[in-house]
Amino acid sequence: MVDRSNTLTQFSSALVERTAAANSVIAAIRLSESRHITATLWRSDAVITSEQSLPGREDFEVVTPNGSTVKAKPVGRDPGTNIAVLKLEHEAASDDLVSGGAQVGALAIAFGADARGHATARLGVVNAVGPEWYSSHGGRIEQKVVLDIDLARSEEGGPVFDVSGGLLGMSTFGPRRQVLVIPLATIERVVPILLKNGRISRGWLGVALRLVAVPEALGKAAGQPSGLMVMSLTEGGPAAAAGIVAGDIILSVDGASTRRMRNITARLGADSIGRKIDLQFIRGGTVTSRLATITERPSP
Amino acid sequence: MSAILKVLPNTRLRVALAAPDLWRRRILNEALTNAGYIVVDIGAPADVILADGNCVTDETRPTVILGESDRPTSGSLSRHADAHQIDAALRAVAAGLIVRSPAAKDAGFAPLPESDAQVLLTPRELEVLGGIMGGLTNKLIARQLDISQHTVKFHVESVFRKLGVRTRAGAVAKVLESSHFKTINL
Repeated sequence: MVDRSNTLTQFSSALVERTAAANSVIAAIRLSESRHITATLWRSDAVITSEQSLPGREDFEVVTPNGSTVKAKPVGRDPGTNIAVLKLEHEAASDDLVSGGAQVGALAIAFGADARGHATARLGVVNAVGPEWYSSHGGRIEQKVVLDIDLARSEEGGPVFDVSGGLLGMSTFGPRRQVLVIPLATIERVVPILLKNGRISRGWLGVALRLVAVPEALGKAAGQPSGLMVMSLTEGGPAAAAGIVAGDIILSVDGASTRRMRNITARLGADSIGRKIDLQFIRGGTVTSRLATITERPSP
Repeated sequence: MSAILKVLPNTRLRVALAAPDLWRRRILNEALTNAGYIVVDIGAPADVILADGNCVTDETRPTVILGESDRPTSGSLSRHADAHQIDAALRAVAAGLIVRSPAAKDAGFAPLPESDAQVLLTPRELEVLGGIMGGLTNKLIARQLDISQHTVKFHVESVFRKLGVRTRAGAVAKVLESSHFKTINL
């Protein structure tokens, strides 16, 4: 006897319904004959995807929800928040997206696209939720959301929904293929700027830094156990112009300790461009400081 | 069939090295020289190019790139590839093959490393670790850093203790799986 009224059947039918609804907001971006990644239809003429997985090309083909292939151009990329926006040559039918909320332990559904632009589905729980964080590329992400879900390479960049159909954000591979969500709040902040300017401006010092332990002999002078060692400098960049050299260990930025890396990234937002900051560092066993003028980070 | 029987002359390959980071360039240069390559400038005639990161454009010669690259290239290795992998990749690419390492694309979108609850090495320990990553012996690391072998041994032990490993291979594996050793560009 087939029982259509038990909770499992209802649960499963609800998932099928959600998948059918998601079909109208996902698309496939063709990378080659055999490879694609997933895009989320943001509005009728633009899709978003995972910046780290989108090759640096000028033209792409996107298979839209109704199965037609449309030419698309990347109009903005932000490695800081891992968001890329592509403008579609022809408009596609889009659905309104409703915002959802991430709760640890709650079910989440991550959708991808197959090569024909049809939805693929993955179900799991929200593994962890945390406060805002900064990526290693310096971008601010409004909330940390980790999923207990495995994705195929081709499914990255698709939408993640809660069970009531609210959008949590876009799926993204983190370290060791952990699946993260770039939250809706971040997407809503970044996409309009990308559509308008093509990029997110950030302050820039022109240095490559690495976290190091302060050598014991200098610990007392430094007053802190760790700092950021300058590994290399961009010629003519703000730090180089201020007289910073490779090997300097930066201890603080405007008085805020570089023990917390976010102290320095938080000071390099778009509004920092043109401002002077005080860099305190160890060189040759003594603590000195220099003023550097922040400029805009050049396009990659 | 006759091509396969041709006796291979035992020539040393000329490698043009492109590495903007001084410290990385020194280590790569040393590793290449030790492996018997002739290291030349990027502009000079070469059999194969070794690029550290996204630093060569419009290169038509066979190229091995270390680390993420958005350009199609004949050879693509992890930034943390060891001396054996680099050696194998350079020879393969110079012979017209395509080389990929499975780990090269597994880095992922990562948070800023923070200094709490993580292993931090001193600048000297980092240099010594760089030598270990490059497959150098203590003797070669000592020569490269211009310090005594005894001092190198001391730093190697300290690095092992901090990383919680007992062997050089263990240290390499630890660095590869950890995001704490990443360079941040600001």
